[in-house]
Amino acid sequence: MMSPTEEDFELELRSLPGVLNVEIRHRENGDVDAVTLIVHGQDPGAIRVMAKQIVSLYFAEATVVVEDASSALLPREAQAVRVALVGATFNPENGSCEVELNYMGRIGLGHAGSGQLFGGAEATLAALRDLGFNVPFYLLSVVNVATARGWPVIVTLRPFSEGADMFGIAQSDGDVMSSSMATLNSLNRFLSMSKNQE
Amino acid sequence: MTSTNDEASEDAGISEQHYEPWLFQRMLDELSVSELGIGFVYSILDLLAERYALNDAVVNLAHESFGAQMFRLGGKAVSADLAARLGTAPGVYCDPDVVPAVERDAVRTACQLALSLHLARFSAAHDPLTNIANRRTFDHALEAAAARSARYGWAFTLLIADLNGFKAVNDTLGHAVGDDLLRQFGLAMRRSVRSGDVAARIGGDEFAVILSNADGHEAVGFTDRLRCHLGPASDTISFTVGTSTSPRDSTDPSELFRIADARLYEKKGLNHR
Repeated sequence: MMSPTEEDFELELRSLPGVLNVEIRHRENGDVDAVTLIVHGQDPGAIRVMAKQIVSLYFAEATVVVEDASSALLPREAQAVRVALVGATFNPENGSCEVELNYMGRIGLGHAGSGQLFGGAEATLAALRDLGFNVPFYLLSVVNVATARGWPVIVTLRPFSEGADMFGIAQSDGDVMSSSMATLNSLNRFLSMSKNQE
Repeated sequence: MTSTNDEASEDAGISEQHYEPWLFQRMLDELSVSELGIGFVYSILDLLAERYALNDAVVNLAHESFGAQMFRLGGKAVSADLAARLGTAPGVYCDPDVVPAVERDAVRTACQLALSLHLARFSAAHDPLTNIANRRTFDHALEAAAARSARYGWAFTLLIADLNGFKAVNDTLGHAVGDDLLRQFGLAMRRSVRSGDVAARIGGDEFAVILSNADGHEAVGFTDRLRCHLGPASDTISFTVGTSTSPRDSTDPSELFRIADARLYEKKGLNHR
């Protein structure tokens, strides 16, 4: 059983940005000997500096090792199977959108109100969740912009926790289809990473 | 290491219809609410490994504050290669792959809850910017220290520190720089306290420390250590302290605070707020 101090210690290390995993190794006498962090999507050097500060507060003698999972994850992302948009429709009678996605033969359905732009994006997020994806983002904005060649839709998603906003842009037949495609576009990288669990 | 699948419940000869929630029963039997933290996550993995004779298991969680998190049986490291194979989406991965899907879901849910509760408990007691104790924790600690002092005569010193010119830093260099200074000051405080002392952020740029078993002289040593640990940040920011000591000054926590605060502002050459 971990001591409360060690639990808080691990919690603090895990709260550093991009830290996926923490291993705490002990000496025979029970003292903490070394801490290994696995990070992803962050500068390992910067994480090491922050981790060393935290470690020094709890266990001054412990060494810190930071391993970067980003390089190992990236080649798989390139091979990822994409989530395909099967259809996105708007029902003018009740103002709702329905989005159907296909992921490796499985179908995910999502519904939302809020009009074609927001509704298309929200229904897409709902369909992804229906497929079992944990999508830790919320919809920040959906806008369509006038260009010489039509009205592309730009979707902005913001992570629940710290991190950069995700942007996607698409233009297709109708706002709901464009909005859905832009949402998938914004999540391309995230979905590729999520796919690796399969 | 293999991944989750829907057929696992059949593999283990347990249909979801006849599933008995052994895991939750074991949790209730063996683990108390007070242990619902990261240690609880490892305990659940131990229970799972024991139940299914697993060699290895990893639970992936997606915490709304932390992002993806991986916990491995026995607290072992998840290597970069293994992390790449498992990916960062939530799930439970077991070797051998014999754990029913329903069981995996139960484990993941329980672990998610444990991590959230730990974070909630930590957040309730700590200042999010500096990770030192917050005002509420400090008030409880001060009351407890004052009560012990009144009853047993044990001495302790209350030290309040206020950053000089912090508002100007915020106004001229921006809040990001201000926040960074507060973090560095909090870090320096944590490095300067001894085991048993309580360091807290009690307001915007106000910090406090309860120096246990200490008379007023200990405060001098503490401020020296604090200046030393501030390092380069001391070029940007300075601080003023005020102290009070129990039982010499008082054994009432409010009075101790008032005295320390008054001495601080006396040093600053300001009228009391």
